[in-house]
Amino acid sequence: MIAFICILFTVLVYYLSKKIYSRIKYAFLSPLLVAPCVLSSMLVGFHIDYSDYDSGGRWLSNLLQPAVVGFAVPLYKFRKVMKKYAKIITISMTTGVSVALISSGIFSHIVKLNDHYLLSLLPRSITTPIAMAVSVDIGGMPTMTAIFVIVTGITGLILGPMIIRYLHIKEKLAKGLLLGMGAHGAGTSKALEFGSEEGAAASLAMVLAAIFTLVFAPILTPLILL
Amino acid sequence: MLMFLRIVCQICFLYLFALVGNMLSGWFHLPVSGSIIGLFIILGLLHFKVLKLSAVEAGASFLMSEMLLFFIPSAVAIIQYKDEILRHGSQFLVVILLSTITVMTVTGVVAQFSIHKLAKHKGETVK
Repeated sequence: MIAFICILFTVLVYYLSKKIYSRIKYAFLSPLLVAPCVLSSMLVGFHIDYSDYDSGGRWLSNLLQPAVVGFAVPLYKFRKVMKKYAKIITISMTTGVSVALISSGIFSHIVKLNDHYLLSLLPRSITTPIAMAVSVDIGGMPTMTAIFVIVTGITGLILGPMIIRYLHIKEKLAKGLLLGMGAHGAGTSKALEFGSEEGAAASLAMVLAAIFTLVFAPILTPLILL
Repeated sequence: MLMFLRIVCQICFLYLFALVGNMLSGWFHLPVSGSIIGLFIILGLLHFKVLKLSAVEAGASFLMSEMLLFFIPSAVAIIQYKDEILRHGSQFLVVILLSTITVMTVTGVVAQFSIHKLAKHKGETVK
């Protein structure tokens, strides 16, 4: 019963925050920022355990799996464009993934976080299930990684469009790659707001970032820990 | 109503492929998650015309447009980490903020630069 109520409230709060966002379009009102704040205050207010909430919430999180499978559709639709720009995409993504891993490491060193947190932060820019797998692989804490992935998503959702404007990025392909690389699925949903081509580029970036990170993370981690 | 049923069926269909992917990933001890494997299977089926685009398009579009909803329960999980957040929250935020800005800037600039370079090289304009 509680599971069902939690699903209902999550969907309701999401739906309302989405409505508000579509009216006001203010980056800090993103449903991914507003809805979790409202819901977690409700849990604290009504003394509901997270594990009870998650008995329902899990059903929604699980839908991320078919959503990722669904990214086959934009990839398939824009396969010709992707093929044409294969070189650009490979160069951008290799750079993006290396910078993501190395910069997370360097900034963690600078703010003096211990290695446990550092390792959990490294895979934060890719989609949750794979980020958690990488985290286990390199010796991080997968649940902390999941949180960092979400915070990265929210950050990228808000900052991505600002960075695109500030850097005068005009090409749809570059916009999509930037959003999908920097903020995984959350960035991709933002890219879909820009247009279907940006969305396809972002889906590709998200998938490639995940795969490249699986390969690069174990190689780069010892260097980052030096 | 018909559209609704169609979307629900297609979501179940996509889910099925995620589960198949999970199984394959488990059997062969692959480091890749099941949903990525599922994605490539669907991509292959579309490519070899085994599957029509219309058989998955409505469900996939729906899931993608509502994707933020699926992140919300994991975002709420943050309340479980009150101690860590109180102790290190600002450090986490600084790392994530600066690193995300760096990644997006570098990726965007590299992509834009190489698109222009390619356009000049081929003597054509890229939109």
